[in-house]
Amino acid sequence: MRALTIAWKDTRHVYRNVAGLAMMLLAPLVLSTALGAAFGGGGNFSIPAVKTVVVNQDAGAGAGTPAAGAALASALASPGLKALLAVTQVDTPEAARTAVDNGDAGAAVIIPAGLSTALMAAGAPTQGGAPGQGSAPGQAGVPTQGGASGQTGAPGQGAPAAEVQIYKDPTLTIGPAIVAAVVQSGVQTLNGAWAAALTSAQLAASAGLTDPTRLTDLATKAAATFSQAAQAGAPVVLDARAPTTGARNHRDPNVASQVLVGMMIFFMLFGASTQARSIIDEHRQGTLSRLFTTPAPRSVILGGKYVAVFLVVLIQSVILLLAGRLFFGAHWGAMGPVIVLTLCGALVAASLALLMISFAKTPAQAGAVSSAVFVFLALIGGNFVGTVNVGGTFALIRRFTPNGWLLEGWDHLLFGGSWDGIALPVAATLAFSVVFFALATVFFRRRYA
Amino acid sequence: MDAIVVEGLRKQFDPPKGPVAVDGVSFQIQEGEIFSLLGPNGAGKTTTISILSCLLKPDSGDARVAGFSVSREPERVKGLIGVVPQDIALYEDLSGRENLLFWGRMYGMSGAALNSRVDEVLELIGLTDRQKDRVDKYSGGMKRRVNIGAALLHKPRFLYLDEPTVGIDPQSRRSILDGVKDFNAGGVTVLYTTHYMEEAQELSHRIGIMDRGIMIAVGTHAELVKMVGEQTRVDLVVDREAGALAERWRSFPGVASVSEPEDGRVWLLAEDANTLTPLLFDSVRALGARITKIDLAEPNLETVFLHLTGRALRD
Repeated sequence: MRALTIAWKDTRHVYRNVAGLAMMLLAPLVLSTALGAAFGGGGNFSIPAVKTVVVNQDAGAGAGTPAAGAALASALASPGLKALLAVTQVDTPEAARTAVDNGDAGAAVIIPAGLSTALMAAGAPTQGGAPGQGSAPGQAGVPTQGGASGQTGAPGQGAPAAEVQIYKDPTLTIGPAIVAAVVQSGVQTLNGAWAAALTSAQLAASAGLTDPTRLTDLATKAAATFSQAAQAGAPVVLDARAPTTGARNHRDPNVASQVLVGMMIFFMLFGASTQARSIIDEHRQGTLSRLFTTPAPRSVILGGKYVAVFLVVLIQSVILLLAGRLFFGAHWGAMGPVIVLTLCGALVAASLALLMISFAKTPAQAGAVSSAVFVFLALIGGNFVGTVNVGGTFALIRRFTPNGWLLEGWDHLLFGGSWDGIALPVAATLAFSVVFFALATVFFRRRYA
Repeated sequence: MDAIVVEGLRKQFDPPKGPVAVDGVSFQIQEGEIFSLLGPNGAGKTTTISILSCLLKPDSGDARVAGFSVSREPERVKGLIGVVPQDIALYEDLSGRENLLFWGRMYGMSGAALNSRVDEVLELIGLTDRQKDRVDKYSGGMKRRVNIGAALLHKPRFLYLDEPTVGIDPQSRRSILDGVKDFNAGGVTVLYTTHYMEEAQELSHRIGIMDRGIMIAVGTHAELVKMVGEQTRVDLVVDREAGALAERWRSFPGVASVSEPEDGRVWLLAEDANTLTPLLFDSVRALGARITKIDLAEPNLETVFLHLTGRALRD
């Protein structure tokens, strides 16, 4: 009863402290909101479509042959890329560069006049060019130019190269990179079509076909067939997957809720520390000594303080979870595992904070030491990098921290996991809690014996 | 009947090189009396009261409160005592009433009995009207009164007050001294520590004088004063050469003791002040100095302390 009286008094004390409340509740919510907004508060990561101007100077290689420039321009403006590129056609390269220089567009794609001619020109096929590099002779390339220079790209030297130029705003990185990747893909398709045409013509010639008209027709059909096949979808695809631990009822959590989990655990440590510091504060104010003159045993008094620390972080985490549900639409998972993981979080935060405080002699010392330890743990535990995309050595290191285990548990719940996914994290955090509580008790007993 | 018996208490902080705060202190307090521990800062008063409050364990010796050992039966002792610490030990973000309720619960009280007792104590300390105000809004004197009230909730048989009047205004001090007398009149045995001679003299049935961890004298006021016989305290202030004069006065016939000079002020104990005074003036004149103030006083506790230690109480 006396322990609960002390716990209740301490809990009330914390929730009368406006600065403490701001740190415990407001800071994680504000940070999560800001980071969630920065990386897309909705369901997935998203960026706005890149404003792109396209100038197509290619008139084709002659009657009856397809115009490569038109095909490339058409590919850029295709409905499938609408979410990534907002394409506008302009008439001249100067107009395109001006649009970029004025900030009206993030990148300009300048398709040269001789693109089709270069593709149809006779000659040995060569390898495809890489983005941002000069083109190899006899093929289309994609040199990238920064808009700040105001210069156009120089064509490949010593050969009838056809260069599709990308003129970009130098202050942007992601948008022009997307444009370059799309253009590169288009150019590769053109080069592939050209290679298919040349190969079919050479095969026909080696089989005795000598009529130039029929050879041209055959090459044109081969190129068209390649282009159609490329647009229809590649027969070989690359599918990269991360290893999973057990079956999950998979769900994609939003970014804000993922960030909030890391912030919640991080600030729970600080909340617990603030509350645990009341032991030092009371020691300095003389109220702890006075408590020791009452018939309440010292174990009951310290137990009451422990309970208060646990209660404070438990309330803090419940409020943050509810706020996450309310403001970020977070789906924390099934009620049972969420409750267990929340209790484990409060336990381990309380025990770690008490251990930190048991070493300290002054509030300032406690604040400095605790902050350093908590930030270090948060860095290696992964509180600042979200709950996904963690692997390799980092995934191993984080398991040496209680917060790392907690994050792992929350990761499972956020992505649709349940009891099976949190069993190990729960066991690990409970083990950490027991060790921390035991050490803190030893140090406090030694101090207040 | 001895209610508190202290035998050979010794306490050293940070042994083996730390200071010995209390060194072989023994005394007894009788049921129903006010016993004061008088001494300058660092005399060992607070350490003694801390041991009697079961806050500190003695290195050796023991104390029994109503027959219970503070070392072996602290839980029994704690139920009998009310402790008023030297510094205000209250929760400033709680109201006066909330503080009393909290401390009452710590003494095992609850429910209607606790509420009723809190009302009584608030009445006793004169804070019924301000009971709902937060303690950090109280004046220093009001805080002191709540500090005392928190120790009275469980109607303790023994009340320990550790320098309860330090740093407060004369009116609050008067109120506290009168309150202590009232508690005692109600049957509470009081252990009171102070470095104010006047308080000890006014309140106490008996006084223990402590200095540097040692109990140097115990007795009633009359018994203690009798220790210095018919000596008169001469309090002088000279404008220069105080050190040389004090040294010279120590060799004068009929001078029992001379204090260390402080800002030109020297106290001495004289068996015959009428004979000594002209000699003092002569010696001062001989060194080219001048007496700017002289005061003759009948023996009191200050005189006793001076007589026993060679130092003033406030040194």
